[in-house]
Amino acid sequence: MENIETKLREETKRLLLEKKVDVIIGYEKGTLPLTATPCFITEPTEADKLVWNDLCTQNLAKFVHDLISQHKNSQKRVKPEDRKKKVIGVVARGCTTRSVIIHLQERQYGRDEVYIIGVPCTGYVDGKGLKTAINGADIVEGSIEGGQIKMKTSDGDKSIALKDVLADSCRTCRFNNPIISDVIVGQSAPAMNPDSEYNGVNEFEKKTTEDRWAYFTKEMEKCMRCNACRQACPSCYCPTCFVEQSQPQWVGIGEDKTDTQVFQFMRLYHMVGRCVDCGSCVAVCPMGVDLRKFLKKINKDCWELFGNRAGSSMEDMPPLGKYNEHHEKEEFIFNP
Amino acid sequence: MAENLASKDWEPKIVAIVCNWCTYAGADLAGISRIQYPPNVRIIRVPCTGRINPFYIVKALQTGADGVLVSGCHPGECHYISGNLVARRKFAALKNFLSYIGMEGDRTMFTWVSASEGDRFAQVIKGVTAKVKALGPASKLKKKLG
Repeated sequence: MENIETKLREETKRLLLEKKVDVIIGYEKGTLPLTATPCFITEPTEADKLVWNDLCTQNLAKFVHDLISQHKNSQKRVKPEDRKKKVIGVVARGCTTRSVIIHLQERQYGRDEVYIIGVPCTGYVDGKGLKTAINGADIVEGSIEGGQIKMKTSDGDKSIALKDVLADSCRTCRFNNPIISDVIVGQSAPAMNPDSEYNGVNEFEKKTTEDRWAYFTKEMEKCMRCNACRQACPSCYCPTCFVEQSQPQWVGIGEDKTDTQVFQFMRLYHMVGRCVDCGSCVAVCPMGVDLRKFLKKINKDCWELFGNRAGSSMEDMPPLGKYNEHHEKEEFIFNP
Repeated sequence: MAENLASKDWEPKIVAIVCNWCTYAGADLAGISRIQYPPNVRIIRVPCTGRINPFYIVKALQTGADGVLVSGCHPGECHYISGNLVARRKFAALKNFLSYIGMEGDRTMFTWVSASEGDRFAQVIKGVTAKVKALGPASKLKKKLG
């Protein structure tokens, strides 16, 4: 980890000094203990702010898209010959590179506009899980040493094994090494446990319709529609989201519970072939809605129906943009 | 209103979103051939099934439809070459996901009816109406109005 961090800083310095990139998006130490937060490095002297540890949660591809679209908008009124190109560097683990691949496939920006510093990943700590594990005590100070998280909390000193509080999406991660990159920092990481990735979904599918509906409504009742999931999701980048659209108004803005259900349902459905299971939406959700239960189903269907895993390769284009005329599952078609 | 819906003489409201080139013409043929089919269906004509935003279906369910039927040209016969093939993928995922969250699978139906299949159209409407009737009035995802 230390090793990756130093190399990452060196690489950042080099890239900024050589002016290969205009900005590097990485993680810095968060303001709260045991957190890391995204940061934007534009000066070589700032490179030492960068960190790489088990607390780096957010999918940074979101910011790549944000910065590039912002820059493109700012260049709209500039004469074509005077337009400047901007290259965004990003510290990317497996899921971040998958999101970048999705952006590239959806032609959001060119491959030459993004510089990917690939980092092999061993999973990140699920903040909510950690909080539950210490019975909701406040963390005053914390450090991670040799697979153990040591904390000073309001309930006294505590120590928890890192592997017990890994995020769900990391435990079953299939692509923990970067898929595309311009440079890789560190040794490739050992595989996680991808065979059990659909266990939760399989179990849920066995429940009765009513039980599933009860679970869905229960989870959606927690949702207060702060749209944090959408803001954090790298695949949610529409200039106008359907939530804000007023003609037609797809979702009502009131307190009606079906509006929340429809909003969540459609946001989840928009992730067909686009969800990389990075866990950002789950991590930012202030109400702890179990979004992953539903997203995983979409991933599973996508794999079983279309043989596609979102962003798993540059060649495998988004499944809803293509078709197979003669070999497609058609059991769902109604024949009287 | 809810009480009325549950009563014995309740009739389902079904939204049929059909494509202009095949199923709409098929429905027309059923009409001019005077084939009888249940009057529970409200037809919405769209250029192609590929034009249907999955939101139409969810929105129909939310605003009071007891069932939604989507029908277009048979695969390979699309007026726009591949509209229905793309739509087929969208609907496969949508139907699975709707049943996953706990909607009854029979409330959303997808089928193909060509312009010459007036008889099949009537059969489809009969089949869908019977299935939705068996399920009873929709309650899930349905907005209470007023």
